[in-house]
Amino acid sequence: TAGNKILHFGACRVSMSMTEIRAGFTAIKANIQARDPIRTLSILSYPHSLHKLNSSDRCCITHHLFNFYVDKVFKHCKTEDSYVNRKISSIANSFLSMKRKLGQCHEQNQCVCGQESSEKFKQILANYEGLNVTSAAMKSLGELDILLDWME
Amino acid sequence: SGELYCSLLNPRNVRFESINMKNVLHWSAPEGTGSGVLYRVKYSVYGVGKWIRKPECRNINRTWCDLSSETSDYEDQYYASVKAFLNGMFSDWVETTRFNPLTDTKIDPPMVSVSSTDRSLSIILTAPEKWKRSPEEESVSLLQLYPGLQYNVSVLNKKTKKRWFFSISNHTLVVPRLEPETAYCVSARIHVTTPILDSGFSKEYCIATLKDKA
Repeated sequence: TAGNKILHFGACRVSMSMTEIRAGFTAIKANIQARDPIRTLSILSYPHSLHKLNSSDRCCITHHLFNFYVDKVFKHCKTEDSYVNRKISSIANSFLSMKRKLGQCHEQNQCVCGQESSEKFKQILANYEGLNVTSAAMKSLGELDILLDWME
Repeated sequence: SGELYCSLLNPRNVRFESINMKNVLHWSAPEGTGSGVLYRVKYSVYGVGKWIRKPECRNINRTWCDLSSETSDYEDQYYASVKAFLNGMFSDWVETTRFNPLTDTKIDPPMVSVSSTDRSLSIILTAPEKWKRSPEEESVSLLQLYPGLQYNVSVLNKKTKKRWFFSISNHTLVVPRLEPETAYCVSARIHVTTPILDSGFSKEYCIATLKDKA
């Protein structure tokens, strides 16, 4: 479909409806980020930005992050606004299909997990578990542009 | 004993206005205040959270403050905040929404240069450069920041008013099979598919094709 993009993560290739995801997030970004009052902590970028990661670890950390967003973020982001909820579920559906595609590649051992990505993902989980679930999920959703910028 | 202090209404509409990653904080004066209001500005990097004062924007009476230097790392996101002072009274700090330079900037149109033969136009397009601290600093084209950057080019035959549109990733375009001794006008814009960014169209560059050589 229009706006689909093939992203390469090591030996793995994932087709992503990036324009659709970006448009969905842009529509709710201000609303979601306004629900996150904590400026001193970032789930994805604390203490180090994703951009500092070794490129060989991109595939593994992306695999982990797709699972993280599907299993720990989207389901805890219900709001009182049905428009926002619709946008969130549309993004969640896109992530679900990307999770499956990258998961298949991971199972074929083409998505090697090095120490650096394992430690980085441990840090992301620690940042997430340092907050209550709803706050952590809302903050993670508010950082989706950080993830998308890095993936691209 | 009760503490008596008068508070000033807050600055309004505090936001970043960014073009080619020249990131300037803008705001409107508190409602009902004329001249004489002074402002202070601070900013913070999201995830770090420590507020940092901007000395060059301390006690200023204008309603903007250039934070391009402080927000030049486009892998980070930022907040900025403004406080108003007048005759011993002061407002609250009023914050922006979270600012992501990569997705929240606007892009200028491309530079367009056109040359012609008797039956074709050659068009060269140049994407704008990212803001830089000084002329000596190395230039970074926005093409490097946005790999998905494309150009939409419009070519108008002034005589027949027929218009063509082209969408190209390359920065050069040759338009063949045109009419000799005819005026054509070219304009172009930048389109980034993701993140979603579109410049306006450039002004029109008009040129005539040459006399027919045949």
